[in-house]
Amino acid sequence: MVNILLVCSAGMSTSMLVKKMQDAATAKGVEANIWAVGDAESTVESKKADVVLLGPQVRFLEKKMKERVEDMKPVAVIDMASYGTMNGAKVLDSALTILENFHK
Amino acid sequence: MKRFTAWMEEHFVPVAAKIGSQKHLVAVRDAFIAIMPITMAGAFATLLNVFVRDLPNNYWPDLKIAETMNWLIGINGNVWWGTLAVLSMAFVFALGYQLSKAYKTNALAGGLISFASFIAVTPQVATIAAAGPKGADVVGWGFLNYGYLDAKGLFTALVIGFISTIIYAKLMNKNVTIKMPESVPPAVSKAFASIIPGVIAIYTCAILAYLVGTFADGQAIGDLILKYVQMPFLGLSQGLGAVVIVVLAVQLFWFFGLHGTNVLGAVLDGTYLTATTMNDSAYQAGEAMKFIWTRGSFDAYVWMGGAGCTIALVIAVLIFSKRADSRAIAKLSAPMGAFNINEPVVFGMPIVLNPLYFIPWLLVPVVLTVIAWCATSFGLVPPVHVVVPWVVPPVIYAFLATGGSFAAAILAAINLAIGIAIWSVFVIMANRVGVDEENEEPEVA
Repeated sequence: MVNILLVCSAGMSTSMLVKKMQDAATAKGVEANIWAVGDAESTVESKKADVVLLGPQVRFLEKKMKERVEDMKPVAVIDMASYGTMNGAKVLDSALTILENFHK
Repeated sequence: MKRFTAWMEEHFVPVAAKIGSQKHLVAVRDAFIAIMPITMAGAFATLLNVFVRDLPNNYWPDLKIAETMNWLIGINGNVWWGTLAVLSMAFVFALGYQLSKAYKTNALAGGLISFASFIAVTPQVATIAAAGPKGADVVGWGFLNYGYLDAKGLFTALVIGFISTIIYAKLMNKNVTIKMPESVPPAVSKAFASIIPGVIAIYTCAILAYLVGTFADGQAIGDLILKYVQMPFLGLSQGLGAVVIVVLAVQLFWFFGLHGTNVLGAVLDGTYLTATTMNDSAYQAGEAMKFIWTRGSFDAYVWMGGAGCTIALVIAVLIFSKRADSRAIAKLSAPMGAFNINEPVVFGMPIVLNPLYFIPWLLVPVVLTVIAWCATSFGLVPPVHVVVPWVVPPVIYAFLATGGSFAAAILAAINLAIGIAIWSVFVIMANRVGVDEENEEPEVA
């Protein structure tokens, strides 16, 4: 089971992406728990995640988020094009790759 | 244009990043987010009153709807009393909580200390106006006057919340605490640890209030801050120039792919949300509303479908665009755009760093702001005074935010039409740009 947390300003637009990513995970047969929250709740929620992805519009939070998780888990910014086209499969793949590389 | 965007990426974006993650500003923004259930309940009560009292009284007074719905109006009054009437009390607690969290210390204790400090500086005496001749007013001790606790007290809550919580948190972090032997349970020693910092923080504010009361001729800190800080500051935010600058700043942030209203959240909410709630207090009391432009005005008339009035862009693309890529994004984002979520447009079209759309991206919101500001200041539409969730669709948003004004809904619709017209010009221009240009879209990282 992979726990993927998406963070944006209010957790609204990333929640759309969550749905697409879940569909992609089901199609791929990956067991994943994916959810989205706003910046304000992200401190608590990041504790439960294996990997934290930031919406590009809040990419300025990257440093702060890395401090929050004490560099114990990967934090990355979702690439703008995949975000704009709500490409769930691509974001899921990159999340899994980031996670894999991080623990190497 | 390339050199300009490179320069901005290098100098403007880091500044935005600093503002967007500065811990004191983030704490203010998060405190405003945290009290949302309170402001929303208050707004809901205002809206219910609009539909059972104000609209019927204005349009169908003969039906006497308000009289039969008196019980509901009473209940709404109770809700208002527990929410908007004591908004600063809720805010000062939330601020202390969020700030202590940012300083990595006990957040609940920080919130409570901030709350106690705020009450410590609030006058304990209330004057109750008598119905009789002047001078027959009753002065009583042991009362909290809601005039200090509603939106008028927000800046005081901000100042006192900051002073008390920073004192508390700094002392905690410097370990000026009572230390317990290790055999004491952690919960107990945690409670003891906050004692010295808490006492010093609350005493500092209490002493401050005493000194101000002594030297300022009996005026409270809240009176002075309201008169010399909050009102002048809010006054500055009301000019057309100030509003346009705020709109442009948010648009620029978004052009670089940064969430503008998030970056400027502390400023936007601190000033314009305060103006919204102060307007609502005036409305409830049957007085004239002072502020032309409030937090909801941006969303009601300018950022329809999200910053940049992107719902207008989406519609313009669906009508005029011949580009398959643009049409696909517009179709994808239209349902979200109806609820003011526009990230797919901003990142997918894309707007970010796209020279084609840079001009309308700045132009459309400024034009809409000027129109709405003028219409409000000429009194064609009432000022925005109801806090409405930002996901409420355009036009309906304006109707609700102004407490059920049809004129406001019409103004929003006119603005939307103007937005579509301006965007269309640039969408048609984009049709002529060949496929080559498309390949220059931001690379997939």
